Amino acid sequence: MAQEEKKKRAEAEEPRVGVFICHCGLNIAGVLDIKELIEYSKTLPNVVYVKDNRYTCADPGQEEIRKSIKENKLNRVVVAACSPRMHEPTFRRTVSEAGLNPFLFEMANIREFCSWCHSSTPKEATEKAKDLIKMAVAKVRLMRPLETMEVPVTNKALIVGGGIAGICTALDLAEMGFKVYLLEKGESIGGHMAQLDKTFPTLDCSICIEGPKMVDVSRHPNIEIISYADLLSVSGYVGNFKVKIRKNPRYVIAENCTGCSECKDVCPIEYPNEWDMSLGVRKAISVPFDQAVPLVYTINMDYCIECYKCVDACGARQAINFDQQPEEIELEVGAIIVTTGYDIYLPYDNPLYGYGKYANVITSLEFERLILAAGPTGGKVVRASDGQKPHSVAFIQCVGSRDINKYPYCSNFCCMYTLKHAIQLKEKYREDIEVYIFYMDMRSNFKGYEEFYQRARELGVNFIHGRVSRVFEVPETKNMIVHAEDMALGQPIEVETEMVVLATAAISKKGTEEMARILNLTCGADGFFMESHPKLKPIDTPTDGIFLAGACQGPKDIPYSVSQGSGVASRAATVLSKPTWKIEPIIAVVDPDKCRNTTTKCGICAQKCPYGAVKAEEGKPAQVIAAMCHGCGTCVAECPADAITQMHFTDAQIFAQIRAALETDPEDKILAFLCNWCSYAGADLAGTSRFEYPPTIRSIRVMCSGRVDRDFILEAFRRGAGMVLISGCHLPYDCHYISGNLRMKTRMDALAPMLQKLGLSPERFRVEFISAAEGVKFAEVVRDITEKMQALGGDRIKAENKKLRPVLENMLRRKKII
Amino acid sequence: MPLKTVKRDTADALTLEWVLHVKRYKLTLDRKLCVGCQICSLACPKEAIKLQKQPKFPGEKAEHAKVDIDLEKCNFCGICDVLCPYGAIKVTVNGEHILAVVEKESFPQLIRDIQVDASKCGLDCIECEEACPLNLIEVTLTTDGKEIKNISSLTEEEKEKLQFNIDIKKEFCPCCRVCEFKCPDGVVRVRKIFYGKILIHPEKCPDGCRDCLDVCPITGALYISDADQKVRVNEMFCVYCGACKVVCPVDEAFEFKRMRISHTPVRSGAWNKALERLASPLEMTKELQAKSFQKTLESVEKRLAWRKP
Repeated sequence: MAQEEKKKRAEAEEPRVGVFICHCGLNIAGVLDIKELIEYSKTLPNVVYVKDNRYTCADPGQEEIRKSIKENKLNRVVVAACSPRMHEPTFRRTVSEAGLNPFLFEMANIREFCSWCHSSTPKEATEKAKDLIKMAVAKVRLMRPLETMEVPVTNKALIVGGGIAGICTALDLAEMGFKVYLLEKGESIGGHMAQLDKTFPTLDCSICIEGPKMVDVSRHPNIEIISYADLLSVSGYVGNFKVKIRKNPRYVIAENCTGCSECKDVCPIEYPNEWDMSLGVRKAISVPFDQAVPLVYTINMDYCIECYKCVDACGARQAINFDQQPEEIELEVGAIIVTTGYDIYLPYDNPLYGYGKYANVITSLEFERLILAAGPTGGKVVRASDGQKPHSVAFIQCVGSRDINKYPYCSNFCCMYTLKHAIQLKEKYREDIEVYIFYMDMRSNFKGYEEFYQRARELGVNFIHGRVSRVFEVPETKNMIVHAEDMALGQPIEVETEMVVLATAAISKKGTEEMARILNLTCGADGFFMESHPKLKPIDTPTDGIFLAGACQGPKDIPYSVSQGSGVASRAATVLSKPTWKIEPIIAVVDPDKCRNTTTKCGICAQKCPYGAVKAEEGKPAQVIAAMCHGCGTCVAECPADAITQMHFTDAQIFAQIRAALETDPEDKILAFLCNWCSYAGADLAGTSRFEYPPTIRSIRVMCSGRVDRDFILEAFRRGAGMVLISGCHLPYDCHYISGNLRMKTRMDALAPMLQKLGLSPERFRVEFISAAEGVKFAEVVRDITEKMQALGGDRIKAENKKLRPVLENMLRRKKII
Repeated sequence: MPLKTVKRDTADALTLEWVLHVKRYKLTLDRKLCVGCQICSLACPKEAIKLQKQPKFPGEKAEHAKVDIDLEKCNFCGICDVLCPYGAIKVTVNGEHILAVVEKESFPQLIRDIQVDASKCGLDCIECEEACPLNLIEVTLTTDGKEIKNISSLTEEEKEKLQFNIDIKKEFCPCCRVCEFKCPDGVVRVRKIFYGKILIHPEKCPDGCRDCLDVCPITGALYISDADQKVRVNEMFCVYCGACKVVCPVDEAFEFKRMRISHTPVRSGAWNKALERLASPLEMTKELQAKSFQKTLESVEKRLAWRKP
């Protein structure tokens, strides 16, 4: 209650603004005339106190602010110093220590945006600094106190995908004491690792090391395996997800099945076993492999003839139920971890290698099942054409991967497993087998991998550096002739072998796009899930509370997947271990009285929100789910009724900034809207790199370029702006809010021709994409726009503006903005 | 090698194949033996078999329906092989004709009850061989293991020693009983596989329509009545395969029903379902009742066994 009252009082009070101007040693004071800035700031409306300081961010500087707030009853603070990306959090803390709401504070960036990049024109730079302070004061006057929100957290986790990454995550989280649901689409957990024979570089048996972990998962009291089930939908937000899952019918009651295999023995029907890459068969009632977890049999109704012999065999256990129906369940979890893994590319569409056409051309995963003792041939490597052991085998690398026509990326683990296969063959058959490896580059860059490569060389494997151009079959012997270019010899060669094994690309799992839709994730151009940041957030996703691990983010070998699994467990624990989750209050809020969705079928905001955070049910005003909103402001700019506001970046505040920036000589100025994450940072970099550019630009910071409303542009030109620039993150994937930049581009692509029709020169309105690393580009763009502005000349711009003004005024008046 | 699925359709045969690295499944439908009856399409548990009616051209004989098998749905279980009365379908695994459904007693076999007592054969009689509409019978004469082609040159004494061999290719026989009827000496005795009821309502038959007669593989099962020049049935020879009903252009013209199928005893849901489709749910229930009655009888007898001397 007290807080509410305090908030109300703060809103009602007349603003008393304090401006603190930092010298930053000589960084600012060396270029700008601080005295002039102080005098100027005193003339600004509502400014009651101005003070300069050598280092505002140092303790004495901060103390000065705290003291002044109390002594002068300041209720708004502006610090004119460095970039808000640098010290905004510092000063927010400072003002809140003095009892002021931290959101009643604004920074004017007079270092990176002014003194550092206009050092040779101090006079103009000082004028620019004045404008920047004026803009900050204009904004801060309209600021409202905001409270950080908290939502409760359900401390359970859902892991989607039961491969080795998912298993490790589940075990780690369960050990930390959290309840874990492990969702698996297939009949058994284990993933690709359970299909493998041996693992590189130690050659230990794959299922022997994974099997115990799978059993641990099934026995752990905190883990519940939900296998043979699909993820249907996910709603909610970090800490509070609601998940719908469909358990598919196995036609076997899991609780009653003992895994005795008696049903399998009497079943007359066999079908190709996908687990064996369809090299062998399995019964219509069976488990995919003996170590399956959970050990529950499944009837494949696509093949079953319903003779009920299994029912007889099962007898008193009564585990078989042909009437089983799909069952939908709902779970509540606080975090979701996606570990859906990868698929293997089957090169049916590539005629070069003859896969699917020639009997003795197989993929590496098929070879894996052949050489595996529990595989369909009992570990004998045999040719499909005659069932005989081959005396020579050629391995071809990079089939599909590192191919610009197919999958341009490297599949990461193919070099190593091919070395493993070569070593296995050499050790198994000794002198009786000749092994050739055709490779582009041999990549063995982790612990113990290079030694493994040396071992293969010592065993007498023939390495041929060069790309394979074609594989032919000798019709009589069914042997294969491999045509390749030997780079060492510098000439084409031909090798006849009895079998060819293709190291095909690891590709994104089938259904990844559907999964991305359900979880609101993005996929990269390679089809794998995109992480939040390739370096610093490699296992986070743009959606809070959803994390990635393992090969669903890109091909990974076992150690990498395992470490990511453990890593993601700790990332998820940062959410799960908290009783509540804090949410930044810079979110969108709908004014239900203005929202059109009550009377018409609008829902544009819900459509455009990159996070699905806006709900627009028919006949009801749209609603923003606070915990899901990331505060990009795209919906605010899209709303046709201006019914949505973004806290801390309200229309009124941005209009005030525009008006302040264009108060004097607007036709000589460039008004820019920069997104916080890329372009603003790029402009900062131009400053820190001391790239000089003309002091013509006045920048307004928005969280995302998607926030830039059409009305802002109209108002800017109505006020007579010389040029207008909008800059966001690069298309298509760089946006920190998934697709805000794309929405902005579509919006502005529609606006630009309209303005041109009204008589605006096309170069006066520009959309750019500048990343945080492109300081040079930012400086160049400003230079370029300035040149164009000067080429047009003030008179032409004034004349255009004069013509435009009545139309723009009409448009804005209709929207009741002026 | 990855799983290779092959479907080849020629005028002689339809072949489906699953070629795996270690196993090879093959289904062959001999189009020369197939009469386009309904049996396999009704029996298939995966509904993979479809009949396509062939277009009829004026002035030509009607063609029997063509069988097509969907490779996507077929699971090579071999039920069609087991049930085909004409033995037109063969399912093999690795080239061997071993059917798991039969081996594992998941499905019964048809009983082709044909008994031949060649000792009763009359001299110089090859009525059965000539009568068989499918040319499955071969009569040979031997003396001391030697085949005799011409008996006119033999002496009476030698004729006494003659042995008659009647060779019937049972696996292709639909048990129509024509041979039994034609045999003057009661040498061959045939029990039908399928029992049923078939009736043609001549008033509903289009004038001059002979479609059913054209496709019927059994000579004499259908004939043209002298009275109204329309087709009638001789139930004595009908094997209830249904080829006629498939091609009939008028739905109501045929009253057709299968009632009993003689098969080896088996306990199988798949068979019950097949019977339900081939005959009727009622017939299936009857069979199940008969089975349960038999079982009750057995258990009662077992309990009362001590009373018996």
